Amino acid sequence: MVVCVKITVRAYLVILCVTEEQNLVKELVALSTQDRIWAIRDLPMSVDEKKHIRWVLTDKQLKVMSFVVSVILGTKLKVQCLFSQSFRRCGYNLRSARQTLELWQGIMKEIGGTFGTSVLSYFVFLKWLLMFNIFSFLVNFGFITIPLLVFDPSPNIPPNVSFRGLEILTGAGYFQYTIMYYGGYSNETLGGPVKYNMQLAYFFTIAIYMVLCGIALIFSMASSFKKNYVLADPSSNKAWQLLSSWDFSITNERAVRQRKNNLRESLSEKAQRRQLTLSEKLKHFGVYLGFWLLSTGLAVGCGASIYYLYAANWSLLQEAKTLLVPFVVSLMNLVVPLFYSLFNKFEHYSSQRRQIYALVVRNVLLKMSILAVLCYYWMNVVAKKFSCWESMVGQALYRLVIFDFLFLMLGSFFGEFLSNVIGTRLLPRLGVPEFDVARNVLELIYAQTLAWIGIYFSPLLPAIQIFKLFILFYIKKVSLMKNCQPPRRSGRAAQMQTIFIALLFFPYFVGSLSMVAYTAWRLTPSEQCGPFRGLNNTFSVVGVWIDDLGGIPGSQWVVWIYQNVIRTIHGIKNNSEDYLFILYLKL
Amino acid sequence: MGTTASQLGKDLLSEYQELTFLTKQEILLAHKRFTELLTKDEKDLPNTRVPAERILTLPELKSNPFRKRICHVFSTSEQKDGSLTFEDFLDLLSAFSDSATLEIKSHYAFRIFDFDDDGTLDCGDLEKLVNCLTGETDETRLTTEEMRQLINNILEESDIDKDGTVNLSEFQHVISRSPDFVSSFKIVL
Repeated sequence: MVVCVKITVRAYLVILCVTEEQNLVKELVALSTQDRIWAIRDLPMSVDEKKHIRWVLTDKQLKVMSFVVSVILGTKLKVQCLFSQSFRRCGYNLRSARQTLELWQGIMKEIGGTFGTSVLSYFVFLKWLLMFNIFSFLVNFGFITIPLLVFDPSPNIPPNVSFRGLEILTGAGYFQYTIMYYGGYSNETLGGPVKYNMQLAYFFTIAIYMVLCGIALIFSMASSFKKNYVLADPSSNKAWQLLSSWDFSITNERAVRQRKNNLRESLSEKAQRRQLTLSEKLKHFGVYLGFWLLSTGLAVGCGASIYYLYAANWSLLQEAKTLLVPFVVSLMNLVVPLFYSLFNKFEHYSSQRRQIYALVVRNVLLKMSILAVLCYYWMNVVAKKFSCWESMVGQALYRLVIFDFLFLMLGSFFGEFLSNVIGTRLLPRLGVPEFDVARNVLELIYAQTLAWIGIYFSPLLPAIQIFKLFILFYIKKVSLMKNCQPPRRSGRAAQMQTIFIALLFFPYFVGSLSMVAYTAWRLTPSEQCGPFRGLNNTFSVVGVWIDDLGGIPGSQWVVWIYQNVIRTIHGIKNNSEDYLFILYLKL
Repeated sequence: MGTTASQLGKDLLSEYQELTFLTKQEILLAHKRFTELLTKDEKDLPNTRVPAERILTLPELKSNPFRKRICHVFSTSEQKDGSLTFEDFLDLLSAFSDSATLEIKSHYAFRIFDFDDDGTLDCGDLEKLVNCLTGETDETRLTTEEMRQLINNILEESDIDKDGTVNLSEFQHVISRSPDFVSSFKIVL
């Protein structure tokens, strides 16, 4: 009796399985070939079962279509099948080719295995920025520098200037007259087999490069946002989030043990929730307010001191004076974030996420205030004082980049090596330091901003950035392996990645774009040097080109678009003055 | 249709590329690492099954708290002993790869967490899951009181139909709200 029941049950299950399979096959037959392949791949079945489904489908396909296909459509469909198959093969080959070209695959895997996904995200970000800079270097070098080198290979350097080693640090002297800076570029239309207008080339290369950067950033942000943003209710889901975010890529025994310990602590905390009393809440609020005021004050103070440093008249050697400002800027960028991390230890944030946000906002405030002061000084004072002011600004940016690099190296020493020594020998209570992902990523973003601002004034700055990022990768990797321990908490790597890209775009990229746009629109290019000498502003290059285009038939639509755009902008400008006047009267 | 240890045929390679989320490089690397696990005699046989103990010597799985469950879930052997053929191994890597979808990952995560293989996560499964992640010894485990409280919290969060267990769709629903799941559920050779 029992046996009969068992057999019937098993037969029923088999029939059920067969009907399920038939439903699946029916669904799959209805799809196109490519969709079908993706649908089969997405099935949570073993490779064996998928092969069986495919065999059933091919069988079915042949039965359904054999008559029609072989008789009527025959060759055409076969060709189509072959074509789509080779197209797919091509796609797979591209994917695997891209993987072979990947840089640093082995090192990244080693880092991910020991330190987890959150630390790995810093190195992934660094690699992404490196690729970005390689692209920007190729674009600039290809369209701006190579034509000039081909046409006029030797730079016109005055006779009494020679190369001394100090130029690498100051960027002035010998470098000033080379293609390194804006001043080394001519404003002529280069002859030869093809006429190459240097002015238009310079303007459009930089403009299109900035636009492409913006688009690439928007795309990364959108895809990262889509993948990682979650309408999470912060009060719920804590336990499941902890349990489900176990990092499967960690292979190091000790790291696994530490994560387990930390997870245990977090879970037992979750099990006992504690409500804060009113006085405790007020105390926390007071502490937060105090530290926020302190950090904002620090940021503003740094900006102001940079301005006074620039404006003051020190009786120092000329070259020492030029080196002083980058030195102080980099020193501030190194020391003040360490203070912010220290503040974090005294404030007790309820969640790790709020702690990281607070740190990030403070660091952004500091760097934005320093950059804003520098840009203001360059736009308003340097632009009016010097003759070849774009090269001056280019040199200042070059020095900032070099000093930033030197201080980043020093930062690894101070931040990680010294903390390790202090944590193990002097104050064992502190313990071995962890790699501070947020602070390091912000440093990278700042370095990239300098490169973006500098692109107009010094087109070869991306080359230095590439060199810097390449060396930085190895320095950070060695410092990480020797000095840091794996993070005890599983960080929220996915959401942090989205925040970092959003940060990169909004304040930093938009800021540098607006600065370059302001320079092109409002400021007068210098008279004696550079591709835009003698013009009222850089943007008038486009006006001149449009006038030239007017003579060529077939390009009337470009002229029409340009004239309408300019008319609209002027209309807005004129009307806005009227509106402001009316507003003033009303007040 | 099996694979001998020496070479993977071109057709087989492209078929694997279509059926899994792995690229050609990853499949070839998997083949290389799998054949390293085989003994001399086994290398000549097609479709060999490698016992779980040898699979667990791989550095990527050695320290993983769920290693035994992973082998068990991806194994297609009749004895349910966790032994894997090469195709099972590819299944494993495909589910844990970068390009696998959230549905695949959450499906397999559910099966891995389902310690008694009954299709739902009940209190016993959840307790074993928590113990797996917090430690094996008595000092590192949660106390009974803490465990009970925690499991109550978990069920409160995720058990929508209030039947005392978490089924696959409830699990997938709660997992879809953890953005870190996809990036952590990864094993790369």
